[in-house]
Amino acid sequence: MLLTLTLAASALGNPAAAAESGTAVEADWILQKIARPVPARTPFVEMRSSPMLKAPLRIAGEYRRPDADTLVREVRAPYAETTTIARGQATIARDGRAARTFSLSRAPELASLQQGFGSLLAGDRATVEQHYRLEPSGTRERWSLLMTPKDPELATRVRSITLHGQGAELRCIETAPATGKELQRTLLAGGARDAAKARTEQALAALCRSGIAR
Amino acid sequence: MPLARRQWLLALGWLALLVMASLWVSSNLQLSGDLRKFMPSAQTPAQKLLIDELGEGPGSRLLLIGLRGADAKTLAAQSQAMRGRLAGDDRFALVSNGSEASLEDFPETLRAYRYLLSPTLDVHRFDADYLGAALQERVQDLGSPAAGLVEPLLPSDPTLETLVLAEAWQPVGAPQRLHEVWFDATGKEALMVAQTRSAGFDPSGQQAAVDAVHAAFEATRGAAAAQLTLTGPGAFSVEIGSRTAAEAQAIAGFGSAGLVLLLLLAYRSLRTLLLGALPLATAAMAGLGAVVALFDSVHGITLAFGFTLIGVAQDYPVHLFSHQRIGLAPADSARRLWPTLATGVVSTCIAYLTFFASGVDGLRQLAVFTIVGLAVAALCTRFLVPPLMAPVTRDAADSVLLARLQDWTGRLPRPRWSLAVLAALAVLVLVLAPGPFWQNDLSRLTPVPEAAMADDMRLRTELGAPDVRYVIAVRAPDNEAALQASERLVPALDRLVAERKIGGYELAARTVASAATQRARQARLPDEATLRATLDEVLADSAFRADAFEPFIKDVATARAARALRPEDLAGTPLESRVGGLLLGGGEQVTALVSVTGLTDPDAVAAAARTQGAELMDLKQASESLVAEYRGRVLAALGAAALLLLATIGLALRSGRRVWRVALPMALTTLFILAALRGFGVELNLFHLVALILAAGLGLDYALFFEHAGDERAQQLRTLHAVLVCSASTLLVFCLLSFSSIPVLQAIGTTVALGVFGNFVLALLVARQPLRTAGAAA
Repeated sequence: MLLTLTLAASALGNPAAAAESGTAVEADWILQKIARPVPARTPFVEMRSSPMLKAPLRIAGEYRRPDADTLVREVRAPYAETTTIARGQATIARDGRAARTFSLSRAPELASLQQGFGSLLAGDRATVEQHYRLEPSGTRERWSLLMTPKDPELATRVRSITLHGQGAELRCIETAPATGKELQRTLLAGGARDAAKARTEQALAALCRSGIAR
Repeated sequence: MPLARRQWLLALGWLALLVMASLWVSSNLQLSGDLRKFMPSAQTPAQKLLIDELGEGPGSRLLLIGLRGADAKTLAAQSQAMRGRLAGDDRFALVSNGSEASLEDFPETLRAYRYLLSPTLDVHRFDADYLGAALQERVQDLGSPAAGLVEPLLPSDPTLETLVLAEAWQPVGAPQRLHEVWFDATGKEALMVAQTRSAGFDPSGQQAAVDAVHAAFEATRGAAAAQLTLTGPGAFSVEIGSRTAAEAQAIAGFGSAGLVLLLLLAYRSLRTLLLGALPLATAAMAGLGAVVALFDSVHGITLAFGFTLIGVAQDYPVHLFSHQRIGLAPADSARRLWPTLATGVVSTCIAYLTFFASGVDGLRQLAVFTIVGLAVAALCTRFLVPPLMAPVTRDAADSVLLARLQDWTGRLPRPRWSLAVLAALAVLVLVLAPGPFWQNDLSRLTPVPEAAMADDMRLRTELGAPDVRYVIAVRAPDNEAALQASERLVPALDRLVAERKIGGYELAARTVASAATQRARQARLPDEATLRATLDEVLADSAFRADAFEPFIKDVATARAARALRPEDLAGTPLESRVGGLLLGGGEQVTALVSVTGLTDPDAVAAAARTQGAELMDLKQASESLVAEYRGRVLAALGAAALLLLATIGLALRSGRRVWRVALPMALTTLFILAALRGFGVELNLFHLVALILAAGLGLDYALFFEHAGDERAQQLRTLHAVLVCSASTLLVFCLLSFSSIPVLQAIGTTVALGVFGNFVLALLVARQPLRTAGAAA
């Protein structure tokens, strides 16, 4: 979930810039396109499954990047919760409760992730490639980028992360945890808007991968 | 001159005896660094606590470790690797680097006890309202960035009691964690804490632990440029010990070389040189053997003091050698010297007997060591050395140089009133010199290098280690009562934290609450049927499955039926050390300690503690009062010793005038040394005292021999030769010591060197009798 959170920041920005069509996609091109200047905001829809839950938890809200060092995740439905990540700390604020702050160092995979995704946001391919193997596929209209952690420590937590997008728009992030089969999905920007129509998890999965709601 | 067969047998027999004795001693010697052996028995509660703390308290067993000089990730990996190695090492009770999440600290078998140990049930009940709200929170947790952390806990712990406990158990002001291990605030130094099994002042145990840390560091550093910082009482005592040993060894090396040269110059005979070393070596072995036979273990300080004090025995054979003359068999010479030598030895030994009555184990050992050592050295000189001596070829009385010296000193005016004036001046200096007379701070004797002290401060602050000077103590007849009493302190402590009088506090009851508190919490847990009904009601309209919390129902049932957890149940778990250090004793008296951090107002904390029957202990003050009391006993013993000494000399010399001549140089020298030290602003410590005793013993011998020489010129010349050799050799060794950088060695060196000089001059001027035919033989 933390992975997605940081990643989602890369989707913040102007959606759907014009894409050149037909060309096979390159990692360089994707990284350039999804980099965004601050301030930025984008809606998201996240599905969270757990064997303990009757049905996957569907969370909707908005990601914001007010400045280059801060990321805000605001959940609006089914409850209100605001998470602010800045200066190595995450603060979770809930209605009627004192905000809880914990150090990101308690989730050590985040240290390298932050580094990785900081460079993702900046379009700095060299640094991203220090942390992940990149395998692009598809076309510039509809691409995906498979990211496999190089760092063994991170690999014990995350098997892979797949970014799905259309042109300059990052629409969905799929995270495969190292243990368990459940993929965690975050739909962003246009993907999040389309997700309003998708009622089932299969529909969301299809929307994430193909960009088409069934 | 070749040795006769009989002499060979005697020499070899003596050597064989020495070798056997040293083998026996080395196989039976148990060296102890336990300061308690060397202290008078504790009287005040703070002193008792200090003595316990010193020996086995947790503070004295902590080694603080810092790794820096590489990037954070490399340091973290090394920290983990070092922890892996050290945690499996028997020499350590506990090794922490922050990686062991508190959840792992909490053993699986004790996990159901979380409901009895956490304070949650003091204010809440597991009813529909509370559980419903908790489950709503957990849904949000699953949707939050922290989901990965909490999800595995939820089935058995929907109220996240484990995290509540883990938070409560976080050390106050624990350092930040990077890459899963502790780092300082700047993120440049990885931090670790190791608790040794051996006591802080057990030198060999600490040495082994320090070596193990260094070995682990070397084995795990790889190609990285990381540097190790190791501090803590144990690390310091090891470093000071090895520095002291190295310096003492270097000094002993120079000293021995000088001594050999001096003795060769004085006697021009290798045989004499070797013979001169035998009585002292035998004395050391005999003294050590007696202590080993009579006591369980020998304190390191006893040995250091003891070897210093028996140094006087080096002089015994010198007197014998210098008094040799053609036509007098060595055995006859020894017989003639014996009354004087015996008077010196017996009176000194009787004086040391007072140490035996001091009631301090370390001083008793010192008395046994010195008395046996000196007596054996004297007997060797009387009976074993003479048969081994070569026939005489030279007479010290024939030396021209010596004769000139003798004449020159003979022409010096005999001091009378001048000494009285000097003595009065010395007393004035003693009384008027500013500054404290005594140095009671033990740590000042063995000063830690400033850089190491700064490292220690840095690591201690970063790790949030507790105040080493102040601690709150609560006394009770047993563990349960002590835990209850310390729980009553908590509101007052929380107030002190709120008022910023203290930064934080830690007590055993925070880890394991008193049985009474646990039972009260137990009584508030619902039975299985009730809990099931409540859960069914709450889960019906929640996002969770109906069967999601079966493990929780089981854990609550276990907790409800469990016997309250006692401190001793934690044995063998990582929690043991958390409690053990804060709950001392057993049997009839238990002391619960509350350690505090960031104490700013001792008076306020002391007052708050008193309202609950607890006491704020000042360990530094206790240590200084112990030292003062110890010194008081030594001084009392010395006073009695001085009187006994005078009585013994009086008995031997049978003349008030002669006693006066023998005792005056020694007494005046002691006074002058004290005045000199005080005049230069030196605060006196125990080592000065021991050195003063040695100086007085030497002075007594010088005076006795000068006095014994009578008024015959040749005999006076031989005595002058003997005392010159004695004092020159002693002066050489102790002058070297006085240049040492180690305060302990310096204190002994300066004091004895001053004493030898003063005693020699005064003995020469006061104790020597006027020549019968003054100037006639010149």
